[in-house]
Formats: sequence, C-alpha cells, structure tokens
Amino acid sequence: MTMRRIVVVGNGIAGLTACDSLRSAGFDGELTVVGAEPHHPYSRPALSKALLHGDDALQAHQLPEPTHDATELLGVSATGLDPDARLVRLDEGGELPYDGLVIASGSRARRLSSGQGGVGQGAGGPGAGGPQRDGFPRELTLRTIEDAVLLKERVAARPSVIVIGGGPLGMEVASGCLHMGCEVTLVSDVKPLSRQLGGHLADIFTSAAVRRGLRVVGGGQARLVDHGTGTRVVLAEGTELHADLVVTAVGDEPNIEWLAGSDLLTDGALRVDSRGRVRPEIVAAGDVAFFPTLRGVQRVPLWTSAIDQAKVAAVGLLQGDAAPEFNFQPYFWTEGFGVSLKAVGFMPVAGEPDFCEPGTGNDSLLLRWDNVVGSGTAAAVNYRIPVPKLRRLADEGPAALRPAAPARAEPARA
Amino acid sequence: MRIELDRPRCEGHGLCEEAAPTLMHLDDDGELVIDVPEVDGADLDAAKAAVRVCPVAALRLAAA
Repeated sequence: MTMRRIVVVGNGIAGLTACDSLRSAGFDGELTVVGAEPHHPYSRPALSKALLHGDDALQAHQLPEPTHDATELLGVSATGLDPDARLVRLDEGGELPYDGLVIASGSRARRLSSGQGGVGQGAGGPGAGGPQRDGFPRELTLRTIEDAVLLKERVAARPSVIVIGGGPLGMEVASGCLHMGCEVTLVSDVKPLSRQLGGHLADIFTSAAVRRGLRVVGGGQARLVDHGTGTRVVLAEGTELHADLVVTAVGDEPNIEWLAGSDLLTDGALRVDSRGRVRPEIVAAGDVAFFPTLRGVQRVPLWTSAIDQAKVAAVGLLQGDAAPEFNFQPYFWTEGFGVSLKAVGFMPVAGEPDFCEPGTGNDSLLLRWDNVVGSGTAAAVNYRIPVPKLRRLADEGPAALRPAAPARAEPARA
Repeated sequence: MRIELDRPRCEGHGLCEEAAPTLMHLDDDGELVIDVPEVDGADLDAAKAAVRVCPVAALRLAAA
C-alpha cells in the first residue's frame, strides 16, 4: 500500500535516524515523531564520557537541530497501539493514525530500588525508589541528559560514591567520579567489563582503574537500604557498604509496555526480521528491538547499532522485500581511567589476542582476535587509527594494515 | 553551508566518513580531513547525516 502517513515512536538517535532515512529514501508524506523526552535527540554516549569527565559547560551531547521536517510531539509518550486499526494512542489522550509505524521507543535504566522505574518510554519517571530525607533520590542512574546533569551536580561536592554494575556504563561513571575527586567503590559480580569485552581487555581497564584508585568489590545481588544521610548497599553475602551517593548501572529495560496487548511481542520481546520488520507496515529499531545477528537474535543497545538498525528499518518499511537485509557489524567504544578503546566486531572476545602490535604512545595497542563465527574482532587501545581501517583489520586480518603488501584487491561493492 | 570541525572534540570514530565518504575521511593517523567543506544540493543531505551521527558532536553546519 502507499505510505502517506508514517509515525515514529521514539525520538532518540534511532527515531531521528529513521526520520532522516525515510526522507533520504524518498518518503515525502506526513511524518510524525513522538518523543517522551521534552527535547531534541542528543548523544547518549557523551553523557557518561565527555560530559561527566569534562569541566566545561554541558555541550558535548548536543546534536544539530533535526531537518527531517516531521511534526515533533516532544514530551509525549505513546501509551498503546492498535495494529488492526493502525492507531498509536498517546498519553495526552489523542490518537495518531498511520500507514507505516517505526517503533524506536528505546529503553530505560534498570533500577535496584523497588518500583523499577516508570512505565512507558520513561524519561525520569516516578521510579527513583523513594527520595532520601534530603530530597535526592537514593539511587541515581545515568540514561538521560537530566540524569547526567543531576549526577554531575551531586558529584561536584565530592561525595563518596558507590557504583553498582561493572559494565561499560558503570565503569565510565566510576571513572568520571574518580576524575572529579571522589572516593569511588565499584561493586561488580564479575571482573568489571569481562562479560562485555572478555578477560583480556577487561584486565587492561581494571588494572588502570585500580592504579587510579578505584576500589573494586565483588558481590552480586546488591540491595539498597536507606540510612540517614547516606545509603547502605547490602551485598548477597551480607557485606555492607556505605557512601554518600549510590549510582547503579545494572542494565536497561526496553520500553515495550505500551505494546502490551498488541500481539507484536513474542515472549515479552519485540523481534524484527533482517529488514527491521515486525509486520509489513511496522518496523522497529534501536534499544527496544531484538534483531538477527551472526550470534543469534539479540538486543544491542549501542549508538551505532541504533543508527544502523534505523537505516535498515526505514528502507524496510518503504520497500519491503526489495530492501537490503541488515548486515550487523558491531562497533563499540568506551573510555575511562586514561584508557580509550575502539573495537570492531563481536564481543566479548575469548582468550588472548591472535595479533598484537604496540603503538607509539603509552599502553598503546592494536589487537585482533580470530572469531569462530563471522569475521574477527579488532580493538584499538589508546591507539589512533581510522575506524574504517580498524574495520578492515577485523574483516581481513593484519594484512589489511600493510597497503604495500601484495594487493588483496578491494572487493567490488555489490 | 560550511562543515566545521571542532578538532579537540573529534575522537576519530569515523561514523561521519561512513555517512558522507565523498565529503570527509580519516587520514592514516585517524585525524579527520574535511575534503569538501562547502556543501549544497545533494552534498548537503550527506553532510547533515554526517554531522548528526557524530557521537561527540564534533561537527557543525554553519552558514557559508
């Protein structure tokens, strides 16, 4: 059918990219984007990196104004979907009819406190687990710009900080707090970053973190208990930790409550095909969506994943089976404790790297792992390298680094 | 419009190059080079896409 009206639910980078990609692909009909956050899309990765570590004004996250000419409903959440009538219901009471729908409602921070965050596309939401006596929520998370501003304000007073969660976000937050002069304890049930990156890269970060003064405490199943002026963290084996400020980074939860009853969810998850489709007239992209990869159907809540999914989904919505399939090529970066990592390829990587070349700077390394499934994984640690070249290293192996070597001809673009 | 780079901010992710390979590229040291700073027409769309994917907001489009 002809698409005259397309509604995009979600106004993060996936929603923004979907709008742009629909326009680039020739869609000139009525485009409406519904965003729970009251402002234009911004860079989420910058919140825990440049923004938290920086001393300057809060700018590192600001993206240019959108130019997709969509009607933007900002600060508005979708609360329901009727896929048969093709209607999106809004929290302000209205309904939006569509011919095509892009679901990019993202995810929210998972919380340890009871209440588990707001329902819907929760920006903020009522789920802070109850305020402390001084009026601050006792559990801070970092997902939105408002979260980042609050965290930065509180950290400026150099409180003692406990960060719960040893993934990239938890480590970036811990690094930022250390950088600001706080005493920081990180609670992680496994070696920090090992689950996401593998043991080798995790060791590089963890040693740098400990050298810079991070205290790492093992122990899962942390519970938060209100305690006068601070918060107590109680670990599974009974250990108690105290700090002025507790920040949790224990994963994210997709915003799919508004899809309940729509028949779009499979086992409670929103799954798309290789062209981003849930149905011919409904696509999904970004942190909300499970999509097929070489390592199975999974959700990959990362910046470039959201962008790449949204491009595919936009064309999938307009062109159906004629659209190209998604060939997911992971790109990931993190920084903290003076270590910067850029990596192309699937992670975590197991064991020691198959290729290792030191760079010129301190602790500068270029690494590659062969993978059983798919191409290799290449990682640059404190190593300046164009990412397209890093991608060639992942795809083709070390030969890609030596242009003078007997030519491995560039494959013709399909 | 003119593509402007805030060089200290650039971290060399190269997403802009992927969005607009005819307008900019990362050199061998991972430094971004704007090959076509003044853009209009079809180039402008590519430039906008490049500016918007930058996760550290190092690129801007300014009136020429």
